[in-house]
Amino acid sequence: MIIMGNEQHLFVEKRRLAKRWKGPIPVIVNTLFIMLLFYVTWWIFQDPRGLMRLYTPFKGYMVCRWLLIMFIWVVYIFNYWPFRHSWLNRTHPLIKGSILTLFSVGLMLLVIQGFFVNILGKFGIAYFNPERLMDLGITEFYAEEYSFEAIMMFAAIASWLSPAWVVACESSPWQQLKQPARGTTIVLVTFFLSMVIYFITMHSHMGILYYPWQEFTAITPPYWEKFANTVSGNFHIAWIMSATVVVWIYETIWEKYPFDLIKQDWLRRLASFAGIFVIAVAIAFFLYFAQELAWGQAVRGTKRLMAPDWRWLHVGEMAIFWLVPSLFLYFYLDNWPRKYSRPVNVVIRTVVTIIAAALLYIAYYKTSHLFLGTQEGYSHPQQFPMIPMIWLINVMLINYWFMDGWPGWKLIPAKEAESAIEPSVEKEINWNPRFIGGLVAGVTLAVILYFAFLKFLPKWCDIFTIIKSNV
Amino acid sequence: MTTNKNTSKDFTRRDFIKGSASGLGLGALATMGIFSYSEKRKKFLPAIERKQHDFGVCKRVKITNISETSWFDNAVLMGDIRNAGGLLVNQYDYNWPPFGNGQGLAKGSYADGIKTFRHLLPNKLEEAWEIVYEKSVNPDNAGGFAALIEMEDMDGQIHKYLLDSGWSFKWMEACFRREGIDNMLANHEIEKFFISHSHFDHFWGLPVTYKYDPTIATYIPEGFYPEDKQYIADCGFRGELTEVKAGLREIAPGFVVCSFGVPIICRVFGELSLYFNVKDIGLVCVSGCCHEGIIQLADTAFRELKYDKDQMHGIYGGLHISPFEDWDPKYDDMVIAMRDWGFEKIGCNHCTGIITAKKFIARGYNVIKGTARFGSKDEAYLGNGDIIEFKA
Repeated sequence: MIIMGNEQHLFVEKRRLAKRWKGPIPVIVNTLFIMLLFYVTWWIFQDPRGLMRLYTPFKGYMVCRWLLIMFIWVVYIFNYWPFRHSWLNRTHPLIKGSILTLFSVGLMLLVIQGFFVNILGKFGIAYFNPERLMDLGITEFYAEEYSFEAIMMFAAIASWLSPAWVVACESSPWQQLKQPARGTTIVLVTFFLSMVIYFITMHSHMGILYYPWQEFTAITPPYWEKFANTVSGNFHIAWIMSATVVVWIYETIWEKYPFDLIKQDWLRRLASFAGIFVIAVAIAFFLYFAQELAWGQAVRGTKRLMAPDWRWLHVGEMAIFWLVPSLFLYFYLDNWPRKYSRPVNVVIRTVVTIIAAALLYIAYYKTSHLFLGTQEGYSHPQQFPMIPMIWLINVMLINYWFMDGWPGWKLIPAKEAESAIEPSVEKEINWNPRFIGGLVAGVTLAVILYFAFLKFLPKWCDIFTIIKSNV
Repeated sequence: MTTNKNTSKDFTRRDFIKGSASGLGLGALATMGIFSYSEKRKKFLPAIERKQHDFGVCKRVKITNISETSWFDNAVLMGDIRNAGGLLVNQYDYNWPPFGNGQGLAKGSYADGIKTFRHLLPNKLEEAWEIVYEKSVNPDNAGGFAALIEMEDMDGQIHKYLLDSGWSFKWMEACFRREGIDNMLANHEIEKFFISHSHFDHFWGLPVTYKYDPTIATYIPEGFYPEDKQYIADCGFRGELTEVKAGLREIAPGFVVCSFGVPIICRVFGELSLYFNVKDIGLVCVSGCCHEGIIQLADTAFRELKYDKDQMHGIYGGLHISPFEDWDPKYDDMVIAMRDWGFEKIGCNHCTGIITAKKFIARGYNVIKGTARFGSKDEAYLGNGDIIEFKA
């Protein structure tokens, strides 16, 4: 990540990592390490059969989402402040990883308990505080679930906006500030924006969660009811989760293509931010349509696979399945391929990661109930594949951001790093009118492929069924 | 890679490829965004095909609510669920009766629990409950769900069916005696026994049914776990067990059951619901908990079955909307969408939730009120001992 304008690099961008062993061994070792770390921590914290059993589900859902945001704050927004980069350079990855993770957990608890539960919940909006809900007659279990759902939903928005401000808006206009002023400013601004978007997208969902509908404090029924065919806020979860995923797709496997072709700073930043939103909405609509093609048109009022609210939620879940292989490709496979022009690299990576996401999706629904403590089936009301997927992403981020990819990779000293930097092949690309012929051909091919997909998806689904169900 | 040796033709090819790759992404995203949620997309969706399967007709259906109070204190039940780790925890782990092993909440198992009272099944239930009472978590909170269904066929003959067997041995014995179910079972008046699903409050009172008729033909949905099936055997069952595969199965003229392959809270899978075609009034849907959802139940009938007047007439049972008096906006979708299905008579209780019944009433649906007797708490819906009848 380059902070445009003052050419200031984030630490994760400046650092150079080298494989400890030749060939595929580092990838294999790290994959095994990540899976082990995932499963051990899943068992300790989340698994309904494990030790802490946070997967109630909203307690665990809230924790994994806010932890993700804390990692983003630490690395992307605060650039590891208050930790010195010299300390990061010399400290063993295991120690560094443990300290930075614990630091993030502490921050997370401060935000959840300090801000949401004890400030906002006590002095502003009752539904953020479980005790207040209990005083109003709700059982302890649902008081916690409702509060944590609201806090989790806020996190969903923040997990899009916080990185988007750095990745798309290039931290503008505060990119020249030093830490912690820059980080604090961006956190406050994105937190404020998240709050505004929360009220527009999620507050009505919470307003009708209580009986009777809280019509004096929320828009009831929600304004999206007719368009989304549901009063559930899951409609917004669809595009917000897609936006969260697109931010990282844009930052990693797309290498900020194509918006970084725009040379004018303000226009590039605006186009990137708006582009991420537009792409996310397009993906959300498409993934909803894909479900209609696979399972038939949703029927309002049904509860599971056929329900519009679940279908919108599942859009976000499918998007998350795409993020996992995309980050893996970027972190551990050196963002393969790199040898072609950037547009071609981007297309290949996109296709490869979509295929990998589909395989992961199939593997998850075929097998996850055997080891995660969850249940077989697509749409168990308490089952959210986003929880294990985000938990896995968190583990990957701890390994890559906090542990320098240990044990397969190691941080190499600055001098060695300078000589180790390989010139990227055709990294730079400028808009050229000679692209137009290909551009037209590409658009035409995309439209043909899109409609071919529409035609064949129902047939593929008839042939290949992941889970047999009559619901 | 560009070098000085590149020819102009080479440049053209490279430019074309770069342009094509960019166009592919742009075109794909643009089409996805513009078309995927437009009205035109519906042309690609298959039309709903109604199979209109004719399963006959019956004269009337009468349902007696043996018990709808599955538990007596919602806060106690939800406290146990919360402290055990939530709604995904295996129901045999909670250490609820009858599978208590004395180890406390969330430390139970089927194997540990059953061995303390298996030798007393199915006849010595009072003695069994005394053991269970000592070893289980919150045994006084256990109640149960069960209903007696009486269907009159077109020849005027009455057929009796039992839906579910509740939870607490003690509570269900009392309920069975109150409604005369014990004698009906002992006299083999009840022809078939349907277990809607394996949740504790519908299934764990199984010995109470088998105590009086261990040979009654029993139907379960596909999806029972090995310990669920073992419990049936351990309860002394000696009759014919039918596992209904996902889909419809005819039971008698005018009566079909449908097995839904649904994952359910507390690690339960599959639910069996019942359809009756009542002459001159239409379809009556009966459910234990309806975890598949009442609209799914109706939609399945709409797609698969032929029924009189093409009318969805009535519903009875737990509709599983707000079982713990909880809520979610998606339940409002269900309440709102109910109007589109045109149900004329709604007999609900149990896991429907009192909030839901009140929302139904507020929207003008014909919810049959109850008498709030024998432990039922609210007149908003049919309570214990109440009767509903569907006839022309």
